[in-house]
Amino acid sequence: MLSECDPPLPQRVLAWSIATAVGATLALAGCAPTSQADAPSGTAAGTHPVEHARGTAEVPAAPQRVVALEPVELDTAVALGITPVGAAVASNVAGVPDYLGVNGVQPVGTVPEPDLEAIAALKPDLILGTEARHSKLYEQLSAIAPTVFMQTQADPWQENVLLIGAALGQPDDAKALLDGFNERCDRIAEEFDVHGKTVNLIRPRDETTLSLYGPTSFAGSALECAGLTIPAREWEDGLQADLSPENILDATADYVLVTSADPADDATIPPAITQNRSAFPSVTLVDTSYWVSGVGPKGGDLVLDEIEAILETER
Amino acid sequence: MTVAAISRRRDALGGSRTGRARIWLGLLGLLGGLAIAIALSLTLGSNALPFGDVLDVLRGGGSPEARYVVEELRLPRTVTGLVVGAALGAAGALIQAFTRNPLADPGILGVNAGAALAVALGVAFLGMRDIAALVWLAFLGALVVTIAVYVVGSAGRGAADPIRLTLAGVALGAVCSGITTGLTLSDPEAFEHLRSWNAGSLLGRGFDVLLPVLPFVGIAVLGALLLAPGLNAVALGEDIARSQGANLAGIRIGVILAVTVLAGVATALAGPISFIGLMVPHVARWVFGVDQRRILPVSILLAPAIVLLSDVLGRLLIAPAEIPVGIVTAFVGAPVLIALARRAKASAPS
Repeated sequence: MLSECDPPLPQRVLAWSIATAVGATLALAGCAPTSQADAPSGTAAGTHPVEHARGTAEVPAAPQRVVALEPVELDTAVALGITPVGAAVASNVAGVPDYLGVNGVQPVGTVPEPDLEAIAALKPDLILGTEARHSKLYEQLSAIAPTVFMQTQADPWQENVLLIGAALGQPDDAKALLDGFNERCDRIAEEFDVHGKTVNLIRPRDETTLSLYGPTSFAGSALECAGLTIPAREWEDGLQADLSPENILDATADYVLVTSADPADDATIPPAITQNRSAFPSVTLVDTSYWVSGVGPKGGDLVLDEIEAILETER
Repeated sequence: MTVAAISRRRDALGGSRTGRARIWLGLLGLLGGLAIAIALSLTLGSNALPFGDVLDVLRGGGSPEARYVVEELRLPRTVTGLVVGAALGAAGALIQAFTRNPLADPGILGVNAGAALAVALGVAFLGMRDIAALVWLAFLGALVVTIAVYVVGSAGRGAADPIRLTLAGVALGAVCSGITTGLTLSDPEAFEHLRSWNAGSLLGRGFDVLLPVLPFVGIAVLGALLLAPGLNAVALGEDIARSQGANLAGIRIGVILAVTVLAGVATALAGPISFIGLMVPHVARWVFGVDQRRILPVSILLAPAIVLLSDVLGRLLIAPAEIPVGIVTAFVGAPVLIALARRAKASAPS
């Protein structure tokens, strides 16, 4: 089904003439409406060029029907006041994350495997994706609507927010959001003066692996910008370091944050920590949906809220 | 099968005095190897505790960190490795003898796929996250799918023969795996938690999970050993087996029951650990000959040693993190399997 809008190879046309004939009919049916919608908008005055990971796209000046394939794109769009019509989700079951506080965003497959048919059915006027994840889908996506790809979902994240702001026609607002985030961070650092205090953000993966988040990661950078220090270790790309439970005592810090799908449930603290409780004086469960997946200005604000609350109670 | 072939086989089954001495030596060697594997599993890990610290813990002392690492992590995972290994070794030997296929794997009856599907259903629809509860669910899944395989395989005329059971097992297993993959893809977040179970892991199964399944494994291993003489008769072909007075229906049901319990418990505890059930009985046959009365005990001793050594390797390779044991056994097993396949002539059943 993914190949519906794919231009068939010449050999394939010969060998699979019947199949491609059917496929072409489907392709026409599937792609015709959007390509018609595409043509006038390309010539109209209401578009602007956006440079991105795959070249330059002609994007409507004020996109109305946005589909976001990456969490940071969804978060940033919502933060800029544009509720996407569709978004790829981390989980088909959980759907669009609650923390965004938006309704009516249609899930269009999972982030690693977006559903092209569902995207086409929404008749978007702008699609936001990620080269590192959706590279192979670019041609098909841009046949549906103008498509802007950020290079990679890997942090640092703020560059991506600026690109998304440009694609949505609100570059200044995006810049203002980031400035607001960074200033708030600095204020927290000043207010609580936690200089020299250490913090570790732990994501329990499964029984064999605990992931620690580094200073370059989304939440890690927020923690450091709020004045806390993440102890040095060997990070993969500065983002993450995996530990076996055998080495849990390497993860001790003044503040230890543990990500959880259900932060109200203390049973979600991994046994490696509960069985060594004396080595972990301060353990706080935090919500995975924005501490890990909620990359963007909205998720960032919630992360700062919680950092503030944690520092407040432990002051 | 010619008369000459039968008499050759009888020679192989009988064993001379020197052959018997070699077997006792071999068993002693296996026990020694297993003891070494247990010792390594207790002393080595991604946390490079000094040997003295581990000894202190075993003597009842030690630092809190050493006590945690040895008592809470290495000891239970070692016992898990022993149980899982013995179960997989016995199940593999049984299924290879029963299907008379030296490349059969315990998963061929759909047991692993059934266990995995049950776990996936539990995670997706019941929101289960606790390994202790999932073990029983996995076991139930293994049981249900094996019964289904048996019913499908024995539908129509006559009793279920190994070929029809294998076909039914592979087919139903594929159906189960397809559904499992679908569930996993639709909710990657919930299933990420099960990453290590899916890859095969010995960590995190405490004694509270282990002890209740031990009697099942014990009885099934004993049953496997008792089935060995009957399986020797089956190896000669059904007609000859029948003429020798073997109770084919009894053997069949015994094997299916034992394989279900053994592979079901192993998969439930550790997830699908690949290659062990396939490789170990194969090596046992290669070294100790075609007598099931040797292959079974050898497999039961050799498999846990290999599981434990693979687990130790997985802890050391990417320290301070770990590689789940199932991935290591696949890496270790693949070359061994290729080597075995290349000398297929020597290990063909007859």
